[in-house]
Amino acid sequence: MSALPRPTLRQLVHGFVVLAQKTVQTRLTYRLATLVSLLASVASYGVFLLVWLAIYRENPRPGPLSRDEMLAYLIAAFLVNSLLITSVELRFGHRLRMGLIAGDLLRPLGFLMFQMAQGVGDVLANLVYVLPLFAAGYGFAGSAILPASAAAAALTLLSVALGFLIAFGVSYLIVQAAFVLQSGYGIMFLRASLHQVFSGLSAPLVMFPPTLRGAAECLPFHHEIETPARIWLGLVPLEDAPRLLAWQAAWGVGLIVAGELIFSAVMRRHQIQGG
Amino acid sequence: MDTAIVTEQLAKAYTRRKRKEGFWPGLRAYFSLENEVVSAVSELSFRIERGESVGLIGENGAGKSTTVKMLTGILVPSSGRVETLGIVPHADRRRLSQSIGVVFGQKPQILWDIPARDSFQLLKAMYRVPEDVFRFTYTEAVERLELGDFLDTPVRLLSLGQRMRCDLAASLLHAPAIAFLDEPTIGLDVLVKERVREHLIEMRRRFGTTIVLTTHDLKDISATCERLLVLDRGRLLYDGSRHGFEERYAAGRTLLVTLDATVDESARARLEHDLAGEELELDWSVPRHLRVQLVRSASTPRVTASVLRHLAVVDLAVQGAELDAIVTRLYRNGKAQA
Repeated sequence: MSALPRPTLRQLVHGFVVLAQKTVQTRLTYRLATLVSLLASVASYGVFLLVWLAIYRENPRPGPLSRDEMLAYLIAAFLVNSLLITSVELRFGHRLRMGLIAGDLLRPLGFLMFQMAQGVGDVLANLVYVLPLFAAGYGFAGSAILPASAAAAALTLLSVALGFLIAFGVSYLIVQAAFVLQSGYGIMFLRASLHQVFSGLSAPLVMFPPTLRGAAECLPFHHEIETPARIWLGLVPLEDAPRLLAWQAAWGVGLIVAGELIFSAVMRRHQIQGG
Repeated sequence: MDTAIVTEQLAKAYTRRKRKEGFWPGLRAYFSLENEVVSAVSELSFRIERGESVGLIGENGAGKSTTVKMLTGILVPSSGRVETLGIVPHADRRRLSQSIGVVFGQKPQILWDIPARDSFQLLKAMYRVPEDVFRFTYTEAVERLELGDFLDTPVRLLSLGQRMRCDLAASLLHAPAIAFLDEPTIGLDVLVKERVREHLIEMRRRFGTTIVLTTHDLKDISATCERLLVLDRGRLLYDGSRHGFEERYAAGRTLLVTLDATVDESARARLEHDLAGEELELDWSVPRHLRVQLVRSASTPRVTASVLRHLAVVDLAVQGAELDAIVTRLYRNGKAQA
């Protein structure tokens, strides 16, 4: 029996890029449904903004941020979140229940890269909606939501990319949990709740009471949303940005490596549903 | 010839919660930690050489799909040894996947929301298919499986048969060394099934593809496979040539006779007396029809001559021992008796 060839890095990257492209194409299929979801999300987040504006009317300085800084932060956080939302968990949950993941496990990209390429495709598809939202945010808050400097903008791009790694890493862990539990819905709701509170989507961590803030800082979620938003707006001194980026990278890589280790263990005992 | 697949004492057992019938016992079982071990496959040993075409058959729950999943690496065996194309599939599934093609019937592997043509392009990139190979496999699939009319339609809008054809085409685009086809003709009409079989034969002829075909449609097996692996409750019941299987398990031939008029008792008695020494069964249950089931030792010419002598025959046909009939009988009567 002969040894099978191993793919080159270039071949793997090509497969990854084409899968990401096809995922964009897939995501843009249901235009109206996506638009309605986005509007619903804008509406619910708008309520958040109104609540914070009401708080600032009652108390002009409820925390370290001014009203305008807070408004700009919330819009920036919403945009980063809208960009980084992926369907990795939902897609996997559906395919697991239907026994469709058998095919996904047999792709030459490998399971991790197969999922990640689709996650990247989701993010690229999100750009179609996030860019108009950014324009709308500019119309609402003015130049306050523009980047603090060209360097801040460049560092934010890197920070968003690392934020994606963290978001994907968390999703990949949930995928592993779904393998074990044979359904990922319960744990997906748990993740959504933790994300809502600890990512800085509802408020930056500096506005949290000390205990809650300490807990949030021990978790990866704030590096998904809060870190890129703060770097963008210049709420972080530029010299502090590399430290935050290093934390993001460490969390992203750590979560993915943990996911891969669990995946290896899970594959030894999992069952694929259906004959 | 190189070996494509080898298994030795391969086994897979699942642990599952013990279920009980009825509402209250079922509810109690929900909170119970009592498990049971179910053996899906056990003591499976066989070897498939490169280029062979092997039919894997057995009743529902016989362990066919579990076997295929272990051979492709998506299930880890409980014990035993398995090698596919020289590697342990579950240990290096990613590398193996480059050289195998898989169809899991009714579980579409091409992207649901975009046209099949786009999925084919994606697979070309993912499997790094050389241009000349892709040109052949793509054209062959489009023409042989008649995909042209719906290549640009999103897969979710296709019928089951159209989807199955696209899935089969997708699994063979990279000209895999082994094609694992689990029910590839499910939901297809007779003509399309025929085209699928032709496609498999052509791929095998052109690329020497090893085919492992799991199906309940035994015509697929008859048309494409020379060898059979028959599973029964997770164990290998038969491993050998299809011809050998027919020889071993065929009970004989069947004589189907259409009569001119209802047979009177005396003619019937004369025929039964004449055939008294033969190993056969006469079935008179359908008016104006006689079905003679001949056991292997019975002489077909002598029985036929006797029927023609004693009865007014309108039509007569001798049915051979076809694979369908043998397997049906095997399933129905229990394997031990076969």
